[in-house]
Amino acid sequence: METGSNTQTYDSLEADVIQDFTNNVVFFRYFTLLTAGSTLQNSVTNLTTTTSDANLAQAKLDWKNMRSDWEQSEGFLLGPVESNDYDPNTDTWPTDYVQMDSLLASSNPLTTDDVKNLPQSLRGYHPLEYMFWGKGGSKTAANITARQKQYMGSLISDIQVNNVQPLYNDWFLGTDNYSQQVLTAGKGSTEFSTRQALFLNIISAMSDICDEVGASKMFEPFVTRDSTITESPYSGNTLIDFKSNILGLQQVYMGLNGGKGIRNLVAAKNLDLDQKIQAQINAAVNSFAQITNRYEEAIFNQRTQVQNTMDQLATLHNLLDGDLTNFIKENIKD
Amino acid sequence: MKKLYIILVTGLLVILMSRCHKSELAPEATYDDRLSGGKATVFDESSHALTHSIDGMGARDERVHELGDQTFEAKFVAPPAIVFGGLGSIFNNVSCINCHRNDGGGFPSTGSATSGLLMRISQSGTDPHGGPLAVDGYGTQIQDQAVLGYSAEAGVQINYTESPFTYPDGTSVSLRKPTYTLQNPYIPFSVPYMLSPRLAPPLIGIGLLDDIPESTIQSFVDAGDQNGDGISGKVNMVYDPSSGETKIGRFGLKANTNSLLTQVATAYQQDMGVTSYIQTAESSFGQSQFPWATNTDKPELADSLLNFVTFYVRTLAVPARRMVNDPDVQAGSVIFNQINCAGCHRPTIMTGPDFNLPQLSGQRIHPYTDLLLHDMGEGLADNRPDYLATGTEWKTKALWGLGLLQKTTGVAYYLHDGRARSIEEAILWHDGEAAKSKQAFTSLTQTERNQLIKFLNSL
Repeated sequence: METGSNTQTYDSLEADVIQDFTNNVVFFRYFTLLTAGSTLQNSVTNLTTTTSDANLAQAKLDWKNMRSDWEQSEGFLLGPVESNDYDPNTDTWPTDYVQMDSLLASSNPLTTDDVKNLPQSLRGYHPLEYMFWGKGGSKTAANITARQKQYMGSLISDIQVNNVQPLYNDWFLGTDNYSQQVLTAGKGSTEFSTRQALFLNIISAMSDICDEVGASKMFEPFVTRDSTITESPYSGNTLIDFKSNILGLQQVYMGLNGGKGIRNLVAAKNLDLDQKIQAQINAAVNSFAQITNRYEEAIFNQRTQVQNTMDQLATLHNLLDGDLTNFIKENIKD
Repeated sequence: MKKLYIILVTGLLVILMSRCHKSELAPEATYDDRLSGGKATVFDESSHALTHSIDGMGARDERVHELGDQTFEAKFVAPPAIVFGGLGSIFNNVSCINCHRNDGGGFPSTGSATSGLLMRISQSGTDPHGGPLAVDGYGTQIQDQAVLGYSAEAGVQINYTESPFTYPDGTSVSLRKPTYTLQNPYIPFSVPYMLSPRLAPPLIGIGLLDDIPESTIQSFVDAGDQNGDGISGKVNMVYDPSSGETKIGRFGLKANTNSLLTQVATAYQQDMGVTSYIQTAESSFGQSQFPWATNTDKPELADSLLNFVTFYVRTLAVPARRMVNDPDVQAGSVIFNQINCAGCHRPTIMTGPDFNLPQLSGQRIHPYTDLLLHDMGEGLADNRPDYLATGTEWKTKALWGLGLLQKTTGVAYYLHDGRARSIEEAILWHDGEAAKSKQAFTSLTQTERNQLIKFLNSL
């Protein structure tokens, strides 16, 4: 393993990890998200031109694919996605049925610009999910009205044009983009005065998403036995959303596409801790497989399995928030 | 004789030792400067720095904090809806977090999902409790958004006029002054009205500020400016609907609210149109387009959730200071005292006893506020009285966490209306009781000014 090499200084290892986080994880994921968005945009165009069940099925599949990228990108929820509101603009929950119904029943214009100016609860992935699946997931192509077609088209282009593309641009286009802030952490970055500050931010984002999935998104419907408050209730995609979040976190830790990750920093100084974190991430990711029903059902009939996953996530959260955070504070000193 | 000698020497020793002991009372150097919130301090300088709970709470308290957090972030939707229904019908925003970004401050814009600025409105005179007198059909706040199918009360147009400020050393800074115009009011105004802009402030250390004894705040008042430093200060006395009594004002930019519970409940009612057991009136009560709106609405926010959010805000930790050993920061700290910024922005205060949360109890904290109202001059005046606060008075803003606002909010804006785009601009707007300090600031060299600003950024 290259991290153990005695020839590389820790300083240059830090630089590698930062570079690979930026290029192999963030760039890769946001670029894939952008591609998934244009695929979904095409399938919505097909669906609204030729409104068939086959085209609806394709749109649903492409929605799920785009969600997978988006939820994985939540493993590094920092920077423009937060500060420029791309997250709440596209992933607000719950959806507002009452206003959605009155919007669709009205003759208000529904261009992309109009959708952009709607409340966040009427924008993004979940209203689109509702358009595709309907309540109870029973929607067929024959149920889709002309207004709904218009709304669908503007929803996906609002996601793509007003959020996903600008998010990518904020990170990677122009000279003063956010990736430069990350890459120059501790070396002139105005956002991160030290590398330690950058790594702590990355780890706090990992830890936060882990906590949000285990202690909030999974726990709330579980403890209240309420399937109406799950994340993606119409598509039944909730469990995949959860797992994607944790996969995203795993990619930040392990590195992606041959690049180095946070683990290389840890393994170089504390192999035991690295093994422990890797094992716990794996345990958490693998535990999802034991929940075989839709999450909306599992909270009633697979409670042991759901509890197990939440326990694994709690253990992982403690590791990230405690041991890993302390490791960074003790070892990245600049 | 020998006995007398021993007694004398022993007596002398006692006197000497007690003197030594006296000189060692409260040595500043034994405290850690970074602990802005005492035990309620958290070490995080990331964009999530303001979002942490205080350390050491029990599992039950952590759980309540977590539920409060979820409710704080929940986007409300139009009723009837099972999950977080009750929005509006008129409102300023749909969740707490939309204005208090990452538990930090808001953006000075109006009428959109990312807007964190709202307008208070009133006519001349006072209500039966001495507070601002509502304008018929509008109440005391302009709700600039409405659920689909209804009209907002009015839109708010913000225009800025830029004007240069030039230091004695020739350096120049552009300051912008806002003017506000109401657009498309849903009914004509029957009386002349006064407006006051309020930018969503960061929520840092509110639990600690709540635990500062009233007597401590009163002790900061220098009525009639006896010490001649130009700073007097006064407390606001306000009506508190949660207790039905008139009490000292602690919260709000003009200290017009006594209790945290009332502050949270009023934000839900006025900003989101969500009623609760404390604030039972719909914000649209009395308006012609909502004949069904009542002032005794069934709570749209469950009692427990309102209490959880209050607890959440109360148990948010204060971020630790950074760069405390930086020589420029230390020089800036000295200047801060020399030019008497500390006359209002009090660096150190002790909290009183708190039997529920020991982390907040008896803490030596560094909020950099006295919680008093001060005349800030004509430039910042809203000319709208609020209980005892006159049209030129504002509550001293706490400065802890100031240097993290940029990261937590995304873009940092300062002062009550967000007109200042930098800490420097904010200082230059100071006037009235702060005129002497502002004057002294402008006479500093550029290096000294930068040191002071660097110090403020370390808070």
